[in-house]
Amino acid sequence: MTWAAFTSEWTKLRRPTLLLSTFLGLAFAASLFVVLMFSQATAHGGIVTLHQLAQPNGLVIGVARASMLLGVVAFGIAASQVASEYSLGTLRQLLVRQPRRAVLLAGKMLGTITFLVLALCFAAVIALIVAVVAAHSRGVPTSAWFTGTGLGDMFRELGDLALATIGYSILGMALGQFVRSAVFAVIVGFAWLIAVENIITRIVPSTEQWLPGASITAVASGGVEGVGYAHGMILGAVYVTVAIAAAMTVFLRSDVTA
Amino acid sequence: MTMQQAMDRTDESPRGQLAVSTTGLTKRFADRTVVDGLALAIPSGSVCGFVGPNGAGKTTTIRMLLGLVRPTSGSGTILGGSISEPASYLDKVGALIESPAFYPQLSGRDNLKALARLGQLPLAAVDPVLERSGLLARAGDKYRSYSLGMKQRLGIAAAMLASPRLLILDEPTNGLDPGGIVEMRGLIRSFAGDGITVLVSSHLISEIEQICDYVVMIRAGRLVHQGSVGELRAAQQPQFIVAAERDADLPLLTGLLQEAGCAVTPRPAETAVLVEAPGLGAADLNRLAASGGITLRQLTESTRSLERAFFALTGTASADVPAGQEMGAIR
Repeated sequence: MTWAAFTSEWTKLRRPTLLLSTFLGLAFAASLFVVLMFSQATAHGGIVTLHQLAQPNGLVIGVARASMLLGVVAFGIAASQVASEYSLGTLRQLLVRQPRRAVLLAGKMLGTITFLVLALCFAAVIALIVAVVAAHSRGVPTSAWFTGTGLGDMFRELGDLALATIGYSILGMALGQFVRSAVFAVIVGFAWLIAVENIITRIVPSTEQWLPGASITAVASGGVEGVGYAHGMILGAVYVTVAIAAAMTVFLRSDVTA
Repeated sequence: MTMQQAMDRTDESPRGQLAVSTTGLTKRFADRTVVDGLALAIPSGSVCGFVGPNGAGKTTTIRMLLGLVRPTSGSGTILGGSISEPASYLDKVGALIESPAFYPQLSGRDNLKALARLGQLPLAAVDPVLERSGLLARAGDKYRSYSLGMKQRLGIAAAMLASPRLLILDEPTNGLDPGGIVEMRGLIRSFAGDGITVLVSSHLISEIEQICDYVVMIRAGRLVHQGSVGELRAAQQPQFIVAAERDADLPLLTGLLQEAGCAVTPRPAETAVLVEAPGLGAADLNRLAASGGITLRQLTESTRSLERAFFALTGTASADVPAGQEMGAIR
């Protein structure tokens, strides 16, 4: 039954406008980060140095730096996918065909998560190709990128990015479930991830390791200063579990009057 | 008619059993009681009109039947399944709830495919329902490009997707032009011909009268009446429009009618009166007028309509929900 809800969700997600805008949009954003990073890098400074880019993990530095942006976009798309079922009124149609609400929500979540993870993988592949081209244009040696260590770094980073995307997507869907308005969900989510967490962290730096956005970003980047990878992973999992439980509880209990 | 009477009647009918049956169905939103102790008994195989003014609680009742809204109290069964477990019967139910709602960017066909996949229905069922609702030629077009009538027909097609035994249509003619309304009527009648029980709600009583053989009337969330349309019409007191040849005779005529036990209501801006004459026919009224030396210019029996029956049963002259009993946006 969850599979039926999953395939139904994919019928909606694979429409050309959403598919192309998400896949190409994420690929453009990730590639832009890579291009900017390579173009700004110098021997002694910039966002990163040319020497850092030549290291085994140089291939994925750009994609890793774009993780916050990719995550925010994933969050917005996931939130709007759930909330728009309320604003369009389509939820009542769906619930007549699948009255088991937990099954419906699980199928929708799985559908949206796979869609966004695939979009992220596509964006990452494009960004990696752009990184190779940019390296050649800046004269950055790439031999270390394709060693066992380099490829290991690449797959580990892509795995972390996928985990972070799942986290952002679930938080986005949960928020969409609570606010039931696509626009409001995206605004609230973006404001929290981009502005509110930054402000809180600047005022009380010790809170950084307890914030949901910061913990998921730490996972995406393999750990950041102030929030370690393992800590981000555990806290992120807690936030995601609470978000799923809360969204499910609200969905199971609420009247559908939209 | 009480629920028990309705059950007795329908149990004797060839249809045999009730498609929808509720007892004490109630829904409260905060301090507002939107549906109040509703006892429905809708026979299988009927085309049942669900009538009430805007704000009467029709849509909320339908949402409770479909498991979208949880009843505050009460119980019921649909096609033998309890309304507390919608999954036990919704695979045999099709529904169009309020305005049709689909994904604007998807074609009509893809919208139905999404629903078919969700309900684990064969995708091969999509084109036949599109054809039946007259949308096959435009099935590949995006939903957002559809006219209101086409959207409504796609809603009907979606409701038919599961080959339902019960079809619930909430205000299916809303926003349609006269041609679209006639088409929709034809479509609904064709479902009845297939043996599907149809529950169709409307605030337009005249609309219901044309397509239904059974009617449930509610007002302010409470059941006013349910029973067959024919019985309801037959039970009405005859009403006549009566006018004297000379306008000056109208007061005398009114007096004679009232003495004979008739209820006389002046018709605004007219010299005729509306007469409710229990046990009297047109000939009796004519004789009564002649006994007073009055010649009648007009003596017309007015049509026995559901609308009249509704107002008679509710004791009101207006379809509006009384002030203080309005349900706001929730119907």
